[in-house]
Amino acid sequence: MRDRAFSGSAYLLGTLATAVVTALALPVLLAPPAARGWAEWHRQRAGRLLGVPADGRPGGRRALAWALAHVAVGFPLGLAALICLGNILVAAVAAPLWWAFPADARPTLFSFFDVPVGDWKTALVGGSVQIVVLGAAAWWVLPMMARLHARVCLAVLAPSARERLTERVDVLTRSRVGVVDAHGAELQRIERDLHDGTQARLVTIAMQLGMARESLADDPDTVATLLAQAHETAEEAMVELRAVLQTIYPPILADRGLDGALTALAARSSVPVHIELADLGALPATVEAVAYYVIAEALTNVTKHAAATRVALRIERADDVLSIEVTDDGRGGADEARGTGIAGICRRVAALDGAVRLDSPPGGPTALAVQMPCA
Amino acid sequence: MRVVIVEDNVLLSSGLELLLAAKGCEVVAVVGDGEAFLDAVAEHRPDIAIVDVRLPPSFRDEGIHAALRARREHGALPILVLSQYVEREYAGELLSDGRGGIGYLLKDRIGRVAEFVDALRRVAAGGTAMDPEVVAQLLARRADDPLDTLTSRERESLALMAQGHDNATIAERMRISDNAVHKHIGNIFAKLGLAPDDSGHRRVRAVLTYLDGTPRSAEPAPGRGNPP
Repeated sequence: MRDRAFSGSAYLLGTLATAVVTALALPVLLAPPAARGWAEWHRQRAGRLLGVPADGRPGGRRALAWALAHVAVGFPLGLAALICLGNILVAAVAAPLWWAFPADARPTLFSFFDVPVGDWKTALVGGSVQIVVLGAAAWWVLPMMARLHARVCLAVLAPSARERLTERVDVLTRSRVGVVDAHGAELQRIERDLHDGTQARLVTIAMQLGMARESLADDPDTVATLLAQAHETAEEAMVELRAVLQTIYPPILADRGLDGALTALAARSSVPVHIELADLGALPATVEAVAYYVIAEALTNVTKHAAATRVALRIERADDVLSIEVTDDGRGGADEARGTGIAGICRRVAALDGAVRLDSPPGGPTALAVQMPCA
Repeated sequence: MRVVIVEDNVLLSSGLELLLAAKGCEVVAVVGDGEAFLDAVAEHRPDIAIVDVRLPPSFRDEGIHAALRARREHGALPILVLSQYVEREYAGELLSDGRGGIGYLLKDRIGRVAEFVDALRRVAAGGTAMDPEVVAQLLARRADDPLDTLTSRERESLALMAQGHDNATIAERMRISDNAVHKHIGNIFAKLGLAPDDSGHRRVRAVLTYLDGTPRSAEPAPGRGNPP
């Protein structure tokens, strides 16, 4: 309640100031980008006061309408707050010092009645009454007024159904471009890996075998050396090819599906993993691959950084949304900005139009929650 | 030694047939799927079967299921499972019936012909052949327990032991004397708290079971993990 009273008063005084600025800056606000930015700042501020998330971005025309509403509603409410708080200050500070003022310029109480303070009785009794009455108003009424203004602000700036749709299309277009980019980049990486690695080694093997054939008749020692080299190169090619295949689509996932692959993954982890796996039904291969990747990456992070003693892994499906939760009891402090692991998870999940939430306060625990559509 | 090959890729199965013939093994049947495999075993009663993991119709892990079924139905028929990749989980399933005569190797290993045939004979004789990759996976996930007290030479002996090799082979691979191997193995069993066992199948099993179990201590060792 105390916080609410203070934050309400501060909000209203700020509103008065910005309403005056808005009124003076109206010509500048005719430019849509300026109006949008200014409106957006206020919308965040109103959202913080009301404790609701402010989503979507206001359009230019809507921002201009808001500017007018802000002046019309914000100025009187802000002024009322200033008068209320100012008069509390007068009663608390100026009234007890009435004797120090010249007789014709004494401080007055009860603003509209203008009662001059000319003796101690008026100063103490009148001052106390004014503080109590206006204090009560500041305590109960100002927060209500602040919230009223914030609601008006959010209501005027709330995006219409059409704007919401436009924004959704924007997000989908961006994520789709991301998918196509990611897909292209992935193909390039695979091509490069096969070209620089496996293909180059096959060429080398052919060369070594060809030279061995040439030497067959007259130099058996060279043949032996070349064959041994070709053999080694072939073994390296196999190891490398296996690594590339693992990055394209983990074979265990192809063999056993997501649940079998996750069981195998958990068994490999050096930190004990407790799996809670609901019946997921049939999932698209892309979703399975991303889910596997996300969990593998999360378990690697736990092993490397968290100093955890156990990990809980929960996967379930509600209608067409797959939810994954990886929680560990480690030291926390995981940060999306540091390290590529979490960034990689976000990128892959975003490509499927999913969402990632990372909660990792210093000292732990760390919880990674991922939701992906899986229709 | 009479062998049944279960492999749907003709290039690989004929190569394998050629290689085995050159090494004096008799390939009595080459089949391409799990059902035909069981029929071939019933008909030919081979000494060992070489089974690929991915088989028709679904090309997933039919080979593992076929191998386990053949062992249930044909009294622990020795089986060597081959695959393009190895997974600790599959090794655990193959070992789970607790009987000897089981092998699980990467196809890469066929190229080292002498070692491959040695593994094949070992499995046919009731021993174990576990791919170094599987053993590496088992060793890698144990970050913090009695395994850390092993010296690097002891760790090396442990890995070879887990792959199914006997003392003589371990001595040869590590270029040390039989006595030294004996000492290493004594130390390993003491440090891991395992009952000293005679060589052979039971010893391999004890080591693999130990490695496959949950780590003793879940507490991270000091100095692990990155600074906050």
